[in-house]
Amino acid sequence: MSAEVKPTRANKPFVFNAENEAKFQKLLTRYPDTAALNLPGLWLIQQQDGWISYEAMEYLAERINIPVTQVYEVATFYTMYNLQPVGKYHFQVCRTLSCELRGGEEILAHLTKKLGIKPGETSKDGRYTLTKVECLGSCGSGPMFQLNDDYHEWLTVEKVDEILAKLP
Amino acid sequence: MSKLITMNVDGQELQVEEGKNLIDALSAVGIHIPHFCYHPALGFDGNCRMCLVEVEGARGPQIACNTPVKEGMKVSLSSESSMNLRRKVLEFELINHPLDCPICDQAGECKLQDYYMEAGLSKSRMEVEKVAKEKNLDFGCGVVHDQERCVLCARCVRFLRKYTKTAELGIVNRCDKAKVTTFPEKPINNRYALNVVDICPVGAMTSRDFRFKQRVWFMSSEKSVCHGCAKGCSIYVDHNQEKYKAERVYRFRPRENAQVNGHFMCDAGRLSYRKENENRLTTAKASERFEAVDIATSQAVALLSAAKGKAVFIVSPSWTTEQMAVAKSLATHYDGYLSGYADGYIVKGDGDDLLLKEDKAANRASLELLGISTDRQKLISNLKTAEVVVVLNNDLSLTASDKREFEALFAGKQVIFVGSHRIALADSAQTVIPCASYTEYAGVVVNVDSILQEVTCAIEKECFARRPEQVMAALSGNAIKAELGAVRQQLSASVPALAQVDWNAIPENGLNLKGGAQ
Repeated sequence: MSAEVKPTRANKPFVFNAENEAKFQKLLTRYPDTAALNLPGLWLIQQQDGWISYEAMEYLAERINIPVTQVYEVATFYTMYNLQPVGKYHFQVCRTLSCELRGGEEILAHLTKKLGIKPGETSKDGRYTLTKVECLGSCGSGPMFQLNDDYHEWLTVEKVDEILAKLP
Repeated sequence: MSKLITMNVDGQELQVEEGKNLIDALSAVGIHIPHFCYHPALGFDGNCRMCLVEVEGARGPQIACNTPVKEGMKVSLSSESSMNLRRKVLEFELINHPLDCPICDQAGECKLQDYYMEAGLSKSRMEVEKVAKEKNLDFGCGVVHDQERCVLCARCVRFLRKYTKTAELGIVNRCDKAKVTTFPEKPINNRYALNVVDICPVGAMTSRDFRFKQRVWFMSSEKSVCHGCAKGCSIYVDHNQEKYKAERVYRFRPRENAQVNGHFMCDAGRLSYRKENENRLTTAKASERFEAVDIATSQAVALLSAAKGKAVFIVSPSWTTEQMAVAKSLATHYDGYLSGYADGYIVKGDGDDLLLKEDKAANRASLELLGISTDRQKLISNLKTAEVVVVLNNDLSLTASDKREFEALFAGKQVIFVGSHRIALADSAQTVIPCASYTEYAGVVVNVDSILQEVTCAIEKECFARRPEQVMAALSGNAIKAELGAVRQQLSASVPALAQVDWNAIPENGLNLKGGAQ
């Protein structure tokens, strides 16, 4: 995600679903201060919707009783929070040194070609999002990308094609 | 005052107060340590690193804002290595700064500018392009933000979180993309917003009202008191006379005063300077015709002399204590009734816990000190039998019910209006005499907490508006004393609460009349 993204409206209110509400209630008991739920609260939102909308930030601020600007600050500080909708499959390609030396650029170029979108874009059908990210801490096994929650390591062009073919 | 301890700054032995941090302790003895993010009202944040100093025995440079003074501490401020620390911090601050001082409103009162002149490199070593950010952002409440000039000290953010507790601002993004901003569609919305312009050490926050109006180095400042409400915040009146133009006030700024307002003031009070320039009464009137001030005055004297014992005087609750005393003498001279009725000045529900008070009169406490009645019924019954009414800058039309009632009571009477502004009465009264407003005279006012503060004269407007006490002396046919010195002597003799006041040495922070004077 680009660092310059502003909060985007989803144009529908955000509410935790039953499962996340239970997780949230459990988190509430874990810290002495509700403000500590800023980061985990944002994670729950992202798990539920895949991204964090304007409305969701307002919702979280109200739930944990802190100013909405404080939620906004945290959500924009960490690049792993998506402030815009992402596709069903979110490819986060590592562009830091170790992966780059082992051919990361080639992997990114291949993905760009195969998915038909540039880094930072989401495909029109909402299926794919491609993002360049900094080090994901998997330097010994580069080049790599993160597809949704999973790491795919020691990538080659063939391996990427294989992964793409397997996607439901 | 707490215990004094001895410390050493640049080889100089100093006595400083214990328990304070280096910035505060040293500023009390006149030594300024450069800093951006620290503000005495907001505490330390330690994000700007500008106040790095070398403390003997410490592991590396220390931030002065979070280093408490200790007995025997040795601090180096002006050594070459200390200057080098500052130079390096400034170099970082200026990497993406647009260096637009010639068109920046803060130029002349900018900390970044001052410190760079003192310690900075003269030439930039940066070769890469600067990061461009947004300019002229409207944050609401008249606050204009320039993201490129910002040094991210977070004073504004902390002010809105700690002082007003409205928290409209935050610092979003990171690294060189970091910027101060509001949550989209939620602009700053509180009654103290323009304080962020004052506390911003650089030109990032400017006031929509003041920007591009004046260069700060052309203006003179006078210490005075805000007349916006009964709190009486200490202020600086910044004024200037441009070539071929009349002298005028350009802004009010809060003046630090722990006894009254701390470091801040409300927006309404700050912008009340406009009233000093607008809608002023400039012409005298007699027998419903425009006349010279002297003619109007002598007609008023004739009217009053003819109606001895049947005159009612209504004095403004915002005039100085001295002026109220002169009004009292004037009423006594004509054997009339003096009232300070001013219920219309109270705006219910307009006060808060910070500074704003419901009472919009600046000196109501003095009415009580001088024993001037503020009773509505007494005023009305006296008005019924009166022939001449002298309204001394008291606006009786502030509430609709008062306006109706007093208009009816004034009907068929000779009304003399002495005032600084063109309120409704300036049109309806038969005799009108203009007078100076509070940036144009000197005196004292007593606030809601019984703190007596001095108002100083910033602008002389003798040309069309004499000072109220001069107007009143003229109305008495120069029979009463109106010089400040004489009135003050008389006040000390007649008012017990003012007996101990040393009129020539009123402290800048004011004098608490309830004891515990500072």
